[in-house]
Amino acid sequence: MGRLPLEGIRVIESTYVFALPYAAGLLADLGAEVIKVEGPGRIDTTRGGAFGGAYADNVIGDDPWNRSASYNILNRGKKSMVLDLSKPDGLAVFKDLIKTSDVVMENFTPRVMRRWGLDWPNMKKLKPEIIMVSNTGYGHGDGPYSEYPAQATTQESTHGLTHITGYRGDIPSKAGQSYVDFLACWSALLGIALALRHRKKTGKGLWIDIGMYQLGCFNTSEFIMDWMHNGSLGRRMGNRHPWRAPQGCYPCAGDDEWCVLSVGDDEEWAGLCRAMGQPALTSDERFATTLSRMENHDELDEVISDWTRTLGKYEAMERLQDEGVPAGPVFDARDTNLNEHYWARGFLERVKYPENRKLGERALIARPWRFSKTPVSIKGPAPSLGQHNRELLKGVLGYDEARCDELEEAGIIATIPTNHQSPADLSMDELVRRGRLAYHDPEYKQKLGL
Amino acid sequence: MLPTALDDIRVLDISQGIAGPLCARILGDFGADVIKVEPSSGERGRSLPPFHDNDPHPEKSLFFLLLNLNKRGVTLNLETNKGQSMFKELVREADVVIESYAPGYLASLGLDHASLERENPKIVMTSITPFGQTGPYSGYKAEEIVTYAMSGIMAISGTTDREPLRHGGVQSQYESGLNGALATAFALLLRDFTDEGQHVDLSMQEVVASTMVIEQPFYPWNGGVRGRRNPEGAQFSNIMPCKDGYFISQPGGGATWEQIADFYRREDLKEPRFAEAEQRSLHGPEMDEIILEATSDRTMAEMFKEASENYRMLFGIAQTPEDLADCPQLESRDFYWDVDHPVIGKTRVPSRLFNMTEIPSRYRIPAPLLGQHNLEVYEQGLGYARDDVVRLRELSII
Repeated sequence: MGRLPLEGIRVIESTYVFALPYAAGLLADLGAEVIKVEGPGRIDTTRGGAFGGAYADNVIGDDPWNRSASYNILNRGKKSMVLDLSKPDGLAVFKDLIKTSDVVMENFTPRVMRRWGLDWPNMKKLKPEIIMVSNTGYGHGDGPYSEYPAQATTQESTHGLTHITGYRGDIPSKAGQSYVDFLACWSALLGIALALRHRKKTGKGLWIDIGMYQLGCFNTSEFIMDWMHNGSLGRRMGNRHPWRAPQGCYPCAGDDEWCVLSVGDDEEWAGLCRAMGQPALTSDERFATTLSRMENHDELDEVISDWTRTLGKYEAMERLQDEGVPAGPVFDARDTNLNEHYWARGFLERVKYPENRKLGERALIARPWRFSKTPVSIKGPAPSLGQHNRELLKGVLGYDEARCDELEEAGIIATIPTNHQSPADLSMDELVRRGRLAYHDPEYKQKLGL
Repeated sequence: MLPTALDDIRVLDISQGIAGPLCARILGDFGADVIKVEPSSGERGRSLPPFHDNDPHPEKSLFFLLLNLNKRGVTLNLETNKGQSMFKELVREADVVIESYAPGYLASLGLDHASLERENPKIVMTSITPFGQTGPYSGYKAEEIVTYAMSGIMAISGTTDREPLRHGGVQSQYESGLNGALATAFALLLRDFTDEGQHVDLSMQEVVASTMVIEQPFYPWNGGVRGRRNPEGAQFSNIMPCKDGYFISQPGGGATWEQIADFYRREDLKEPRFAEAEQRSLHGPEMDEIILEATSDRTMAEMFKEASENYRMLFGIAQTPEDLADCPQLESRDFYWDVDHPVIGKTRVPSRLFNMTEIPSRYRIPAPLLGQHNLEVYEQGLGYARDDVVRLRELSII
């Protein structure tokens, strides 16, 4: 009871952006000791810039690289080490740390790991029981795209998802944010759980080689099979459904407020009519069957919109759900953060930062799965850059203070990035004006009780 | 026999539709013995399009085939007393139950985790539902679009001049299937130490919301809320037409801005108003125009190769299912498995999620026909006499 799945497991990762940093943050939630390794001149992309998201209180501060929202959610509960892997002494420390670890994670291009002698054939010589996770855009091997640069936004097209995403009859569109990164994150977690079971049974390590492209392709499998068997290429349907009608996203009272609903059969249709206060509509020929509702979808959308415009989006959800119609509001980030269902389930957790971080207390996404007998929670805040350099060198590798000083003087360990460019200091209003934000809510702290 | 990660694990899959069956299939791909337990009329996944030859025959759903590879199949009516007691017999010999019923339904049959645990304290049950087992929305109904809206993704998808937009296909289902598999694997890993099963509660809304790692913390960090993109000039975030289709590119990767300008063969892109990132955001529409002009006579395939190989750019092309069905990169990754299904015949099924040494995912058997393994499971497995199995069929229990 109370034992976490990864108790006693040490993970060392030198990974960037979303996929594997996030996976490793979740491994920390699940009980692993996770050491994040960054280069002094190559800190994680999510510590600033477009991937960094918000700066705490919109203050850049003296250490902006420790203050971005994205870095802090992805790297919760880890230890931070800054190590210059391009120098032999730095690489040697990295290899020593790997020898003490159970799992090593990386998302460098294949040639970088080969150059360091840390590709799988060498890695397993270094430590045969190690579980290695590599994540690249297209996967290792001899495929024609294996060495292509990639990230999620451009891959979303290449892996076939934008072909079927977009407004009806319009050009392809991307949706969401860095979609395929999360598939890679979850695949890494699955692979690691399986690998640890295998290691427990056999004592053997292994290599998990993730290529994001095929994960994205897999999630359009039914379209691929439709092409193979029926010659159909699929199409962009906007928010409509191939066999349910009506389905769509409808405007509600207020500015940029929306709700969605989906009707799959005559029973749900009757429910929608009751919710709209128009029970007589069920006998309207135009909308009598799913097929006729599909045919007259545009007309029906107007009837529904006329009704939803009079309601708040939550009110629309409640009335529709009460009548058995699948429906819900379009949540923006404020809705998400203030949502009672999420808080009741523990999907959001509060994380308190130590005084010197000047970050106070914040709310973060926890995990989408719960274990009835194993309470899992975010282990602690994301560390500041290089916070655990000396603790790890001394505690794990047995280095003395003098050796640590030498490494610091040589620029092999550090707590300040060598090439940091101060980000543009833009007010919240300016961020809205430039289209980076839809709006901002000055009362966020009071509303969240932070 | 080659070793697999889950060759000591038996899974009972009583889920229906997409996410639950996919979760169980992934466990099967990694070696678990998965028994799919369906009502006598077949689960609703058998009616999911697309169908082989566009023929809506219950054994010809291609989606069902893809979601139920590597499983054996039996029928069992869980709403009868005998069906329930037979299910408990199966549970005694099993390790995992995957289910996707509305919260409370299995408890009403006496088949919830608390009840099954009395039959087998080591049983892990994974429940995959739209809003999870607890909380004020747990009784709500959802569809793909509802999960998407309430996850936060639609609010940032589509353009500011139009309504929020969802992804195509059924992404929340695929994402939840993968999460179900990983959560089950962690529960099994833990069970190796504690000898105890547990109930895994997965919410599809939370799975999709888990991808909002920029948007969610933005608000508690500084009160900011992001929205949809501008329809034009959104700095490369939009997909653009070229000669024979669509492409998208982004700054960064291994390419300098100068190299990107060279790729487009446009010297004017090197002017400061485009070359500097902060400046660029103020001149988006003008930049779009230059790039549209520069690519109107170039093809997707040619640009993808040149941008990726010669310029190390981040570059994507809007590939179609036809492109993916015949893709040398996917071939090199053993993505498709050759399957011979008794009704559909020979086909190739998208399969391998990722590569792994020692214990890779493997193909063993096609999706089961309805009740195909009744005799094998009930007669040879549970020890029922052949006559009794026949009688159970007469009584509509199997």
